[in-house]
Amino acid sequence: MGFAFHRPETIDAAIGLGRQHGEAARFLAGGTDLIIQINRRRLAPQHLISLAGLGLDGISETPTEVVIGAMATHDAVVSWPGFQKELLALPQASAVIGGRQIRNIATVGGNIVNASPAADLVPVLLALDATVDLSGSTGSRSLPLDRFLVERGRTERRPDEILTTVRFAKPPAASATWFLKAGRRKAMEISVICVAVHLVQNGKARIAIGAAASRTVRVPEAEALVEKQGLSAFREAGQIAADKTTPIDDVRASARYRKLLVAKLVERALAACADRIERADP
Amino acid sequence: MTRHALDLTINGESHQLMIEPHWSLLHVLRGELGMTGTKENCLEAECGVCTVLLDGKAVNSCILLAEQCRGRSIVTIEGLGDPEHLHPLQAAFIKHGAVQCGYCIPGMIMTAKSFLDERRGHVPSEAEVREALSGTLCRCTGYQKIVDAVIAAARQRNSWPEEARRS
Repeated sequence: MGFAFHRPETIDAAIGLGRQHGEAARFLAGGTDLIIQINRRRLAPQHLISLAGLGLDGISETPTEVVIGAMATHDAVVSWPGFQKELLALPQASAVIGGRQIRNIATVGGNIVNASPAADLVPVLLALDATVDLSGSTGSRSLPLDRFLVERGRTERRPDEILTTVRFAKPPAASATWFLKAGRRKAMEISVICVAVHLVQNGKARIAIGAAASRTVRVPEAEALVEKQGLSAFREAGQIAADKTTPIDDVRASARYRKLLVAKLVERALAACADRIERADP
Repeated sequence: MTRHALDLTINGESHQLMIEPHWSLLHVLRGELGMTGTKENCLEAECGVCTVLLDGKAVNSCILLAEQCRGRSIVTIEGLGDPEHLHPLQAAFIKHGAVQCGYCIPGMIMTAKSFLDERRGHVPSEAEVREALSGTLCRCTGYQKIVDAVIAAARQRNSWPEEARRS
């Protein structure tokens, strides 16, 4: 085990190092997964390029948009005052990632780029139709998160590209988000299934599911049904979501149990969103 | 791999070290500085015995590279108190008999300190304390007394000495 540690002072310098060292280098965000993979000798990068101190850790809001820096920690998401109403699913998800010690280090960008199908924040961001911003040696580009995710451990990111920010439109007042996670215990657990729902009154519905396929997925068929039929379709939407996802049997749960969870958690998350919209509406 | 210089601020003191890039903060604390109050166990951030404070926030020192701590402030259990001047959390753990084998206790106390500092005087519920400590495992399973000790210390926070409240 041995690597050179780089601490670039600008994003451009970080990209330059990424380009120079190519596949031999890894960008380091919080490192809560990367360092463990290196210690287990599953990864052996020769260069680690730190993304700390590049100003990528902020969260900001405009009247129309929310922008989360890739280096923002899950603790920062939990603590952000602007996420307590329509965007509650963001802190709901970030709050169940690891323990406090992990949330103080692990980043939003890491949760996305790592491309684990069980990542807890990713379904919430998918449900919000989030866009990721990338900077690389050939310039900057933005991609819908739904296109950025390819499959387990794989994204559209090129080796010299840095995920700088993730952004999404501010949802309207008559809307809600909800996140539900099932694990084998209450804390410090990788999701057996996690579900995020975004519901806009008389508007769009988004349903995203983690740990149910080779990547975090949306279920457009279930979304369309809810958009058309509303409340009365919540149960059927859950069943469609279960039918459309392709979970696996593993040490945490069987595929069959995961499908039962998908159906139930989708229905419950939809109901929770509808309930919140109703309560907020005087 | 060649070593290079790293200055770390630990418990308010500056330490000039020569480190290898892959060394964890835990390795530097225990192996280089002999500060063995911070414990070593799972090395994968599952158990929390290696918890220290980084800029006042609880972190797992086992998966944090020492390099990631450059320019930041680290506090370990050694920086919290000593036998003559116990930190109120340490005193509460003793008073409530919250220590069995003791191995998890430095991590428990550092985790609790960061949690209580964030709450700034708000006395947490038992459920909140259990959630806060969920990343720190006690395999003697003596959780009840640990939780009791943290709540008791939180209740008296207004009478903590100024330096105990500093994060």
